[in-house]
Amino acid sequence: MLRPEEMTRAVVVGSIDSLDATIECLYELGVLHLIDFTAQDEEFKLGQPMAKASDSSQKLLKLRSMIRSLEIEGHKPGQRLQVSDISRKMEQALVTLDLNTTSKAEARQKIQTLIREKESEIKALEPFRGFGVPVEDYEGYDNIMVFSGTCRTDPNPALTAKLKAFELFRKQRKADVAIALFVRNDERLEASRILAEHDFQEIKLPRLKGDPEEIIAKNASEIKDLEADLARIENELDSIRKQFADFIIASEEHLAIQVLKAETPLRIATSANSFVIDGWIPTSRVHEIQTALDTLCCGLAFVETVESEKEDEPPVKLKNPLPAKPFEFFINLVSTPKYDELDPTLVLFITFPIFFGFMVGDLGFGLGLMALGGLMRWKLKRFPDLYKLGAIVLAGGFLASLFGLLVFAEAFGVPFHPPEEAPDEHSWEVVANIPIHPRLDKMHDSMEMIAISLVVGWLHLTLGFVFGFVNNYHHSKKHAAAKVAWLLVLFGLFVEIMTVAGSATETSHFINSTVLVPIPDAATTVIGVDVSLPAVGLIVVGVAGLIITEGPLALTEVVGLFTNLVSYARLAALSIGKGAMALAFNSMLFPLIFESGNIVVAILGALALFVSQMFFVFFIGALSSGIQAVRLNYVEFFLKFFEGGGTDFQPLSYERKYTVATK
Amino acid sequence: MALDPVAAGMALVGAGIAIGAAGIGTGIAQGQIGAAAVGATAEDPKMFGKGLTLMVLPETIVIFGFVVAFLIYGMV
Repeated sequence: MLRPEEMTRAVVVGSIDSLDATIECLYELGVLHLIDFTAQDEEFKLGQPMAKASDSSQKLLKLRSMIRSLEIEGHKPGQRLQVSDISRKMEQALVTLDLNTTSKAEARQKIQTLIREKESEIKALEPFRGFGVPVEDYEGYDNIMVFSGTCRTDPNPALTAKLKAFELFRKQRKADVAIALFVRNDERLEASRILAEHDFQEIKLPRLKGDPEEIIAKNASEIKDLEADLARIENELDSIRKQFADFIIASEEHLAIQVLKAETPLRIATSANSFVIDGWIPTSRVHEIQTALDTLCCGLAFVETVESEKEDEPPVKLKNPLPAKPFEFFINLVSTPKYDELDPTLVLFITFPIFFGFMVGDLGFGLGLMALGGLMRWKLKRFPDLYKLGAIVLAGGFLASLFGLLVFAEAFGVPFHPPEEAPDEHSWEVVANIPIHPRLDKMHDSMEMIAISLVVGWLHLTLGFVFGFVNNYHHSKKHAAAKVAWLLVLFGLFVEIMTVAGSATETSHFINSTVLVPIPDAATTVIGVDVSLPAVGLIVVGVAGLIITEGPLALTEVVGLFTNLVSYARLAALSIGKGAMALAFNSMLFPLIFESGNIVVAILGALALFVSQMFFVFFIGALSSGIQAVRLNYVEFFLKFFEGGGTDFQPLSYERKYTVATK
Repeated sequence: MALDPVAAGMALVGAGIAIGAAGIGTGIAQGQIGAAAVGATAEDPKMFGKGLTLMVLPETIVIFGFVVAFLIYGMV
């Protein structure tokens, strides 16, 4: 649960004749995380790819190029194909496809290029049609400079005023003026300056001959013909696509798996007569692999477990109970824990929904979120990340409903009963008299909620330091001791906060009269603030411990720890903020709906209420609550113990989506 | 403690400034970190978790503002 799956270092050894069979067997089992062999010597070299590797990769390459030509990258076959069928039809199909597809795809590409060329010619000549100047006459002079392009405004008046001799063709268009200006070389600088003032942009003419008008007409008719050809080829490709898409995608998958297996020897050590595969196996499955090798390789390959060395870093396969599994998503977003680190998934599984539920704290929105989460689980199986997120939303929504029902007694931002402080407030009493009264009111018990948040923060941070202690215990007793010192400082800070709060809130009163009873009640007043002497004592001892274990620099982080603790006030902040937002919309729009007396205004008001509730409170609220609930874990909690940087457990295995292996 | 109406009004304005100014501070900090985090994530999606962690760090500032605002509010 808190530890990843236990791994055993193992080597699989055998006669070189049984290598292929062994690799097949290992892929089928999917339990061995291979360690790449690198240290070649006289005896052991890297293995050779299996015989079928070269042939398979060639076919794979062909298939992939066809997939691109036919543009079927995203195609998903309707049914799975038998591997035996694929192998039987492969040769024949490849020849047929090669004949039909390759030439057609090439032709299509050529036609597309031609069309693009013709179109760009038309685009370049368009401004100059109607000038009556053949394209070849725009260049090739010794003493004349030609400017062809567009200006923002007509440059003619300025040119007439400044130049002695020039010839200007111009045409007013929608947003600019197309011009062709012929000037003598000695006046070209002046001409260029004037044109620049009119925002001149040059257009290079294509190297063609003839009148632009005629060329454009000719190109247009050619493009028409080419497009007809293109449509015909597309049609033919489409029929090939219909006939072969399933087969091509399935074969690609099958061949990719074959190549993967066939190239595996390149990662392992082989000698003239034997091979050695080094890797990690989940300890619970060592026996399974042993039995499988015995039966499949007829006793020619064996698995041997090896004592792992201290510097070994086994791969990490997180092991959590099924309901907590989706929460591994949050761990993977940061980093895989190291093998000997505690896996915090379970803590996230418990704390995330509670934090989230407390912040959302509304029966209506909670049920809405549960529905959303359920929908994601139901409809989005194809997207693993969203599918996992669905479970997280579902759990968060459930806790939000519970908090909304039992603690805050409200739904859709409207309380079941109006609070004592504001008896005129809208409530569900209009609809039904629900026999549940709020334990906490978001708008009026804010100090209480902050106090609860701080207690939760203290518990969460304490757990973080306990995890840190456990993680460090085997590596460095000194670092483990530092975590104890941190725990003392944290406890001191907590005692002090509770002393200051005194009996102002029920929560602090409760904590002071239960958990903190053993702490002597000695307090003094410094500039108007109650200071608990035991708290100061705890902090001083803790700080001294920190200086000894982590050095004086650790002192700078003591303030940080206080920050961490106060940071949990966001639980209250988000909850109050959301409550206030919902209240604001409700108190603005309810009068419109119920008291306006005009049906149109009432409907518009209801619509506005729905949209604002949905958008601001439901989506934005749920999103920010989610981010904050994750943040409290990532920043406040994880930084107390989590290092990460472990290697993911990636066993030799494959996944067939579109094919079925034939026995 | 009971405050006269003017003092109470000033205190509430103070509470508003506390949370408002803290919010601006957080906004400035998060804007810059967020931009960098998005850049990093675009290059390597694995940076998302780290980026998010760094991005939300300054939020504590506005929480301080919130706590202070409510302490003042409690006084009124």
